[in-house]
Amino acid sequence: MISRQSLIVARWEFLRFFKWKQQLVSYLLMLGVMAAVALWSFFTDESRHQYRIAVPAGFSIDNTEQFQFQRPSISLEAQLAQLQSDESWHAVLTRSDSGLVIHTQSGKKWLSQLEQVLQQHYRKQAAVGMGLTDEQLAQLEQPVAIDTQYLDQSYKGKDRPEKMIALGALILLFIGLTTAFGQVLMSITGEKQQRVTEQLYAILTPQQWMDGKVLGHSFSALKAMFTSALVMLLTFAVVSVFADKSIDLAWLDISVVLWLIPFALLGVVLCASFMGAIAASIDDPNNSGKGAVMMITWLPMLFTYLVIDSPNGWGMTLLSYLPLTSFAAMPVKLAMVELAWWQPLLSLLLLLATVWWMRRVAGRVFLRGMQLYGKEPSWGEIVRWALSNKAD
Amino acid sequence: MQLIVTAIGKAYANVQAVDKVSFQINSGDIFALLGPNGAGKSSIIRMLVGMTKPDSGSILVSYQDQHFDHVPRRLLGYLPEDRGLYPDKSIEKNLLYLAQLHGLSKSQALSEMAVWLDVFELTERRHDELKQLSKGNQQKVQLIAAVLHKPALVILDEPFSGLDPINQEKVVQFLRELKARGMTVILSAHQMAMVEKLADHMLLMAQGRVVLAGTLEQIRAQSQNQRQLKVAFSQPVAEAQLAALSSISSAEQVSQQHWLLSLSELHSVSQCLQQLLALGELTQVEMQTADLHQLYLTAMAKHQPKPEAVA
Repeated sequence: MISRQSLIVARWEFLRFFKWKQQLVSYLLMLGVMAAVALWSFFTDESRHQYRIAVPAGFSIDNTEQFQFQRPSISLEAQLAQLQSDESWHAVLTRSDSGLVIHTQSGKKWLSQLEQVLQQHYRKQAAVGMGLTDEQLAQLEQPVAIDTQYLDQSYKGKDRPEKMIALGALILLFIGLTTAFGQVLMSITGEKQQRVTEQLYAILTPQQWMDGKVLGHSFSALKAMFTSALVMLLTFAVVSVFADKSIDLAWLDISVVLWLIPFALLGVVLCASFMGAIAASIDDPNNSGKGAVMMITWLPMLFTYLVIDSPNGWGMTLLSYLPLTSFAAMPVKLAMVELAWWQPLLSLLLLLATVWWMRRVAGRVFLRGMQLYGKEPSWGEIVRWALSNKAD
Repeated sequence: MQLIVTAIGKAYANVQAVDKVSFQINSGDIFALLGPNGAGKSSIIRMLVGMTKPDSGSILVSYQDQHFDHVPRRLLGYLPEDRGLYPDKSIEKNLLYLAQLHGLSKSQALSEMAVWLDVFELTERRHDELKQLSKGNQQKVQLIAAVLHKPALVILDEPFSGLDPINQEKVVQFLRELKARGMTVILSAHQMAMVEKLADHMLLMAQGRVVLAGTLEQIRAQSQNQRQLKVAFSQPVAEAQLAALSSISSAEQVSQQHWLLSLSELHSVSQCLQQLLALGELTQVEMQTADLHQLYLTAMAKHQPKPEAVA
């Protein structure tokens, strides 16, 4: 069980790296930037403006909300001169052997929209020439609906919104583990450098100390994941609002999210324990290559990403039960295929047992690492400590 | 709290850091571990704290009818030799964190903290970050951290190191205060003058072994060869004349007529005086008492590692 002292350490570690004023300012800045980008794209949206287009004599085309087509009575040279000197025209159209030429001051986004209108006009002209009605033309332009029927009933589909949840889960885990990586390394080796370790040993056991550290930094990682998820959803909402769409969260499968939480929590605790064990064996972070080993914790996300398009394949199945990778793979599998309730539960229990073992390993390595003065243990020694039974 | 340490030994990679060391510390005593660097003091302290286990021998800690093989954490206040706190946190936050880890409530910790900050004149600076303090003041904060939770035993490894004489004196007062509060104190130090003022019992160590042990008087008694006489003759006496006396082991000329004489172990003071009077009239005779510093230097000189023979 987690002792009261471990909880005090956890709180201390969490608050050590949680500067709420700085966090608040950074979130406000992020929201400000998002709002500025949205406002900028709103006010610079060229589709909201009207453009005057000079067309050649005999060219008949209906006006749209965006484009006003006019046949000026002046010469082409005069039209081009006006185009260059004043705001009379945004573009001047002339005929060519192959179709039309658009004369304008410089290339802008509305030009592609003008091209679409002109293409549509020519298609319509061609349809009239062939004797087709507007409905027939619309039918021709309608893409054929092609649906895929998967024989595997549990597979929800490759490019469906569920994949977005799966990818989002992987990104969030990556954010969480990156946060934990930096903090655990800095916290444990920092205490060694600041020579606090021996003083703390006289107050609490290495296991209590390690439990507190792991818990504190896991909460930090979860906080980072939660705030990142919030920012993602907020961005989605802002984009939806400015795109004149309603905020539709129907794709967000709550059952997957509910499973994601315990897997993410245990996954972060597992990785933070592993990082704690490695950091505890580092005497001087400036002269040790062991820190890089902590990045192993990113591999489960990478492996899962590699098999994300085969959620029913043996690779994903193996990863989703293997306790060292299941925290990343099982939520992704859950998002993409229907699973029996016992499958994620079994995976979660295996993960829980591994987390328990890993925290004991971290405690043992810390205890022994502390007793080596000025000497960094070898990998062989670390493995021996990890497999020993002594933790206090 | 009483500690009985019996023949403990500890080796690190073929180096015998502690070799069959025994001692006893009574409740409320100030006990000093003395010796040069590498004598084994910190190794003994780490075994008492429980960081390492003795390879041989035993440690018996008795407190209120309970017995332990190391000092239980809840009863221990510890200032390690290798020490530090969180430099970017304030004095108050550092002390509060450690006190709460020791089981104190926030209000208990703050009230106890106020007393000790006042003793060390740090009350006004309690919100300062540790890195803003001088080394001496940081050390005071560490001393407070070791005693905030009112431990039964306080172990202080080199509490005087890095302090100026004024602050060393404050630490002496602090240790007396701990004793007055009934705490048992173990300290290791190189500052013999400070230890002489404080320690009830002491253990002089060299190369992992006990050289001398006991109260200051007992240690003086064990160092019989340190009986010294300061004498003055009415007329000049040659060094060779003094060296020829069987009761004198060494003679050092202090001034033209003054000599500092070390008495040999086999002779009494009166025998020595009889031999000196035979050389001439004495105008001054003063018995010198060796202080701890002298006792320490002499004891250590005897236990210097012998240079390896050249093949």
